[in-house]
Amino acid sequence: MNAIAGEYAVSCTRGHTTGVRTLQREQELNRFFAEVERRALRIAEIGVRNREDALDLVQDAMIKLAQKYAGKPSDEWAPLFYRILQNGVRDHHRRQAVRRRVMVWFGKGGSDQDDYDIVQAAPDPKGRTPHEQLETGEAMVDLEAAIAALPTRQREAFMLRTFEGLDVRDTATAMGVTQGSVKTHYSRAVHALRDALGEHWK
Amino acid sequence: MNEQRDNVTDDRLAAKAKTLFDESVDGLDAATVSRLNRNRHEALEAAARGGLNVRWAQWVPATGVLAAAAVVAVLWGREPTVVPMTAPAAASDLEIILEVDDFEMLEELEFYSWIELEEETESHVG
Repeated sequence: MNAIAGEYAVSCTRGHTTGVRTLQREQELNRFFAEVERRALRIAEIGVRNREDALDLVQDAMIKLAQKYAGKPSDEWAPLFYRILQNGVRDHHRRQAVRRRVMVWFGKGGSDQDDYDIVQAAPDPKGRTPHEQLETGEAMVDLEAAIAALPTRQREAFMLRTFEGLDVRDTATAMGVTQGSVKTHYSRAVHALRDALGEHWK
Repeated sequence: MNEQRDNVTDDRLAAKAKTLFDESVDGLDAATVSRLNRNRHEALEAAARGGLNVRWAQWVPATGVLAAAAVVAVLWGREPTVVPMTAPAAASDLEIILEVDDFEMLEELEFYSWIELEEETESHVG
């Protein structure tokens, strides 16, 4: 009898410990998402040029990371999360390409991206004079347009390295390419941006 | 010497870009920040349930039927108008298509069903 009671007690303790670990993991994930979500949104938004789509992509990336990779060490979450997010952005572009073909089939060549108002979508920096806001806003609009015009891989390498601050190894994981490839794409991106943005940026 | 100057310029460009980006992140409006917060909690709940994303799941049957109906209606009603695709659009599509697949789209069975249906219909018509 005592033995059975003992086993039950051990089982309850194990169950409690597992529950506590799961809760801790969920809290860690929540903190991680809260830390990256705003930057991730802006990165996705520059990629797809639509805030609503970017919000959906960030949420989908959160769900997939939580479902598939929550058990991974937390220092691996950032490259995995951005890999999922970049895959989402690429899938979005594929769907847009198919939609464009369907629209062509219907005899309409329109594109959703034509409707995207980058000035309207650009967030207002806080605590600045209107003049400063205008200058900063315009510079960001120029930057976003230049980044959006980059080839996909260069855009990803630049945003992950510069905006998210991932190192070369994590960027390679996030992009699913070699570290050498990351360096090449990043270098080409910076040169292309330098040419596109002109003297004020040199 | 030139290479060194280029590196300094590149670093300056990256630093300026980072500053602007951070300002745009800090300047996100309250409604968007609130949406992000709500989405995060929904994502954690959905992941804990281990189920389909509710937002997509509720539209799957309806969009599948609509897509099939649209394809049938179009094929029944008219001949296709051939509009040449512009070079930049074609190049952009090519870049997307040539990229290594990551199998993310395998999860989108609805999309593949639609393509399959379209191919079948084309083979019948052709």
